Amino acid sequence: MTKKALSLTEFMDLPQELQFQVLHKHGVYVGKRKVDNKSVVLFQLHGFYVEMFYKQYRKIIDHIITSDSTDILQPYLDQIHIRDLNEGKKEG
Amino acid sequence: MTQSLPPKSLVLYADDDPEDIELVSEAFYAYSQNVELMTFRDGIELLNFIETIDPFHAAPCLFILDINMPRLNGKETLRRLRRIESFAEVPAVLFSTSSLPADAAFAKNFNAGFVTKPLHTKQVHMIIDEIVEHCSDEVKKMIRKRNRNSN
Repeated sequence: MTKKALSLTEFMDLPQELQFQVLHKHGVYVGKRKVDNKSVVLFQLHGFYVEMFYKQYRKIIDHIITSDSTDILQPYLDQIHIRDLNEGKKEG
Repeated sequence: MTQSLPPKSLVLYADDDPEDIELVSEAFYAYSQNVELMTFRDGIELLNFIETIDPFHAAPCLFILDINMPRLNGKETLRRLRRIESFAEVPAVLFSTSSLPADAAFAKNFNAGFVTKPLHTKQVHMIIDEIVEHCSDEVKKMIRKRNRNSN
């Protein structure tokens, strides 16, 4: 696994299992929400975001969405505290 | 003649996310012959519970602490546990959704492990094994021995 910051394009080109490994090792948790009663978790990874839509939480991933736009943060804003922004992170 | 069963090892787990509690409880089911998992919604609940423990009856062999919890987070819970003489040396793991180096360093400073929560099935059992690895050698040996006997 590389330590170099990946670009969004490089991340998208990785095989899915490697994407998950990179996200597990380097992703920073932003928040969690429910869509149609299924869990969705947003991570920040280097300069972009990865949103994981689960079929079964932490077991079966339905699909992921990636974006380098901060618009993706909108549904999670109530979970992001000023303290976390100051520290540049959201712990979980 | 009645034969008393040896006491189970007590694992105390604090997390405010019910889905994560369910996931870890399911994963610990494999160890349920040897390990009793008790769950709490935050650090305050866990600390209140340990005040009631009779050390001659059962003692925790492992604490698992989610970092981000309301009322009392995992890092502050760990800090307070380490101030209590009888729990100062008990293995502990900070269980986090992010692999932040600062949190890993905090865990190390307080003689605790640091494990990132799994993203999917392939990682779940690997991560539970990683958590159990933080138990004392004595507890690990007992778990392995009883698992062998039950197979």
